[in-house]
Amino acid sequence: MDPKLLYFACVLGAAAVYLALRPGKRGVRIAGSLLGLGVIAWMLLATPQLLSVMGGKPALAEGAARPGLMFAAFSLIAIAAAVRMITHDRPVYSALYFVLVVLSSAGLFLLLQAEFMAFALVIVYAGAILITYMFVIMLAQQAPSTDHTVGEAEYDVNPREPGIACGVGFILLAVLSNMAYGGVPQLKTADVPAAQRQAWQAMNLMSRDVEEMVADLMPGAKPAAGATIESAPGGAFITVRREGEAFDTRLPLPPEKLPSNVQQVGLDLVAKFPVSLELAGVILLMAMFGAVVLARKQIELGEDEIREAAGMRKLGFHAEESAEARASAPGGAR
Amino acid sequence: MIEALSHISLTHYLIVSAALFVIGLVGFLVRRNMIIMFLCTELMFQAAAIAMVAFSRFSLDVSGQVFVIFILTVAAAEAALALGLIVLLYRRRETLNSEAWSEMRES
Amino acid sequence: MTTALAAETLVAGSSWAGWILWLPLLSLALCGVCAAMKVRSKLPAWITVACLGLSFVVTLSLYMGYQPGQHQTIHLFRWLNLHWTSAQGEGSFIANFALYVDSLTLLWMLFVTGLGTLIALYASEYMEHDVGKGYTRFFAGMSVFLFAMSSLVMADNLVMLYLGWEGVGFASYWLIGYFYQKPSAVAAAKKAFIMNRIGDLGLALAIYFIWHAFGTVEYAQLFAILDSHNYSHEKAGWTIDAIPYLLMLGAFGKSAQLPLYVWLPDAMEGPTPVSALIHAATMVTAGVYLIARMYPMMLLDAAALPTVAWIGTLTALLAATIGMAQYDIKRIMAYSTVSQLGYMFAGLGVMTSVGGCYHVFTHAFFKAVLFLTCGAIMHGFAGQLDLRRISGLRHMNGWKIVAYTMLVGCLCLAGFPFTSGFFSKDMILAEAFVTHGPGFQWIGWILLFTAGLTAYYTFRVWFRVCAGPSHFEMGDEHHGDDDHDHGHNAHDHAHGGGRGHDQPHVPRLAINSVLMIIAIGAILAAFAGGWVERLILDSSAAAGVPGHAETAHGGAGEVAAHGTFLGMDPHKAMYWVSAFVGIVGILIAWRLHLANRKAADALRARLLSNPATRWLPTAMEHKWYVDEFYHAIIVLPMWIIGYICSLIDRYIVDWLLVDGTARTPKFLGRAFQPLQNGIVQSYAVSMAGGAALAVVLIVVIMPHMKQWLDALMGGGG
Repeated sequence: MDPKLLYFACVLGAAAVYLALRPGKRGVRIAGSLLGLGVIAWMLLATPQLLSVMGGKPALAEGAARPGLMFAAFSLIAIAAAVRMITHDRPVYSALYFVLVVLSSAGLFLLLQAEFMAFALVIVYAGAILITYMFVIMLAQQAPSTDHTVGEAEYDVNPREPGIACGVGFILLAVLSNMAYGGVPQLKTADVPAAQRQAWQAMNLMSRDVEEMVADLMPGAKPAAGATIESAPGGAFITVRREGEAFDTRLPLPPEKLPSNVQQVGLDLVAKFPVSLELAGVILLMAMFGAVVLARKQIELGEDEIREAAGMRKLGFHAEESAEARASAPGGAR
Repeated sequence: MIEALSHISLTHYLIVSAALFVIGLVGFLVRRNMIIMFLCTELMFQAAAIAMVAFSRFSLDVSGQVFVIFILTVAAAEAALALGLIVLLYRRRETLNSEAWSEMRES
Repeated sequence: MTTALAAETLVAGSSWAGWILWLPLLSLALCGVCAAMKVRSKLPAWITVACLGLSFVVTLSLYMGYQPGQHQTIHLFRWLNLHWTSAQGEGSFIANFALYVDSLTLLWMLFVTGLGTLIALYASEYMEHDVGKGYTRFFAGMSVFLFAMSSLVMADNLVMLYLGWEGVGFASYWLIGYFYQKPSAVAAAKKAFIMNRIGDLGLALAIYFIWHAFGTVEYAQLFAILDSHNYSHEKAGWTIDAIPYLLMLGAFGKSAQLPLYVWLPDAMEGPTPVSALIHAATMVTAGVYLIARMYPMMLLDAAALPTVAWIGTLTALLAATIGMAQYDIKRIMAYSTVSQLGYMFAGLGVMTSVGGCYHVFTHAFFKAVLFLTCGAIMHGFAGQLDLRRISGLRHMNGWKIVAYTMLVGCLCLAGFPFTSGFFSKDMILAEAFVTHGPGFQWIGWILLFTAGLTAYYTFRVWFRVCAGPSHFEMGDEHHGDDDHDHGHNAHDHAHGGGRGHDQPHVPRLAINSVLMIIAIGAILAAFAGGWVERLILDSSAAAGVPGHAETAHGGAGEVAAHGTFLGMDPHKAMYWVSAFVGIVGILIAWRLHLANRKAADALRARLLSNPATRWLPTAMEHKWYVDEFYHAIIVLPMWIIGYICSLIDRYIVDWLLVDGTARTPKFLGRAFQPLQNGIVQSYAVSMAGGAALAVVLIVVIMPHMKQWLDALMGGGG
């Protein structure tokens, strides 16, 4: 196994998508889809060998879960749904398949321990954006007439230059996968203890959560005055004082009590990227303004009215009228 | 096969992301329906988000996920405006075919 | 031998002699003014006659002021005056506008300006049908010609002579092509000019070689150098030997000798005054003048002058045979000119420059008379020149002067005893037998035979046209070649005869007076022999020529050095022999063309029917097919080359290169047009494709490029 097989796989993938796109017999399309799925599955399965052959090395950080089957399921569903989305005749179904893609990638996010992102994705994308798309699709459908029954529009059925597009796309895929397998040698595996230390450090900013955690771990304990979580090579701990005791105890903090993903994201968002947060808000505000402007009722202005509004003379064949107009309004603002 | 799947690495996620991106690109180039074209760009956003989260997990840095939030924000804003424009264009030509707008002159 | 040259002293003459040149130029300018003001009278003719007459007067006074043994140089203005220093030392090239007046010059100028004036007067009536159309143009051309001829003859250096040489060629082209609407006239003008060009090349090369060998082109210095042998043969090498031949080539081009003579008969397309002046008396004698002037130069190579003699002789014979078989009287006169020019060159070649130049002098008069009478006939009979169609002219009213002046001319041409032609031809014939040279005896016999032929064809013309029963047919030209409204019927002309196109147009005062003056000149020229001899011997043309006194005595002890004619002294015997030959020719002509006119046709028919002699009349009538031969070997290849070049021009340069350059952007544009279709997605495809290619290049190929190239090079190299 070497890059050539990878490229061959990409070629097969291109052929698969191409076949899936042609508005032909269903059998052809299904065959294409299956072929594509097989290719992707192979690529994923062959990853270890490919990695060893092509010199890449990245493995996920130690301590990560190894969810083999779940990953396969989510990724294959995502890809299949994406292919179906671009090949379906009806726009509504495309949107629905996109929803499926979103859900699958939310699942992938979960596997990557990014829970917040997963839910945010589902809420924002699937819940808001795609619903908007659906509304617009239904708004922009052509009304059925006598000679044109409800069905697919011609421009939906026939793809535009599928060959070239597939070729171009899969060249890109070949290169990207080449990079992914070949890897960037300098990509260094993350240092887990350092990350944990940073996480404990971040938690210090959330004093109430710290109190809750301490109370949770050791009932009746409170963090000592002025105490912060400290990280040491052995682990993290915090100085606490139990009720009814006159001395401080060191409470070791287990790794399960690391701040959750939501807490981390929230902290970073506010502590490290406040300006971006504000700007994101501004962007949304602008989008709202734009939407309001666009949705105004459009008045069809005639050519003359537009010119008048712009302060220009009327056109030639209206010269007599304009001459009269000018004669009658000599001190006009022209 | 189970063994093969038991060592999921960053590369797997990158492959998935790349495949989704390419499929989105092909869809953009192929479909004529303007709405579906934009939907495919959303798919490309998706792929980028997966890649970013994968890298964030790989390097145990939350900044990647923060950036994905911003991507989401921008995607939403852009979708809103794009759909508004598409509706306007649809009103002009009564069709969603992007080839209706292929005259190279002011119309 | 060199006494004549050594005795020369150079005197600076007065510059009013320059008026000989400026007067024709003034006439040209005034004719230009007339043309611009659209003058419709005969004014240009009077202007020209006046200026040329004045020019003749100046020449006369120059002659009066001439002392024998004195050669004047008259400097008019600085022209080419170059000096430089180089590795070989100082060099210079001096060619000023200056006049070199010696007796040879004066002899030539006298008859050039004299005949020029008279023929201009003749032309004032001859060309009257073109008044208002080409009249001014004609006289402007004549003025140009006379300016050029004067500067040719009076030049002080070879470059000014060349200026005049080219000028007369140009004027000849101008005037031959006067009837420019006739394609044959245009073709004849071109032919004349082009053949002259061939000769001019020889002359130009000769001038260059002369300068290269002797360092100067001025006559005075040249003759001094040649006299004192102050030149080195080794330095110049073969170029010195080539000079006489190149000069010869120039002379043959201008004077219509073999092989460059075919333009002269065609030049008869021009108006008759042109033929008379230019192609009989003046321009064609320029070649003779050149050889005579450069006589010392011709002696540089021993074989040069004999070559001249032989070519002259052969030309004379050839032209005479052709002339015998033509029917157009002007053409017969043209061939006669060629033949007589051959005589002149033969004379120069056998070392009698006196004889050659004397023949030039007499020939100028009688040939001018002959041409002018032919012109009068043409003018009067609406272009009829066929001698089979006109007869008995001397009996017609108003034509007597024409007929009898023509008789005078014919007698001179035929060498009838005691006419000028008789004496001049005689000198040449005698000298041919006297001088030793390769085959000179043969030259003498051939020339004698040709004299007989000359007499025959000359009197064939006279007996047919001027004698016998009166009858005529009008020609089909209407008084010149523009069909203007005649209006003759409304005019009241002061001559007898009916009016209208069916009656001959009798010549009037101008023509008749000129004819008579020139005829008288022709008669008087018979007595000018001694005068001419004195003039020639006093000039540079006398180099190498034994004085007349020596030969007359025969010189005891020098008899063996002279050739003899059948054992007798040629000078004395030739009088009788040539007279006899001339009279025999006249008698044969009388027999065949007057006494029994049908005899000529019968003779011709008999010659044609006999297969052994059939070629003779046919070839003679067709001018020995020389024109056809030239056409085949020169004109046709040129046409073919020109045609091929036109094909190359049309298909390769035009279609391929020029149009191809225009077609390429169009083609490329069309090829790339489908890329711009206004569809966003296709642009996106191009962009994505480009991005993909770029990425492939950077990521995949570049890192491995070095080792792939090494593999290729290592594998291949």
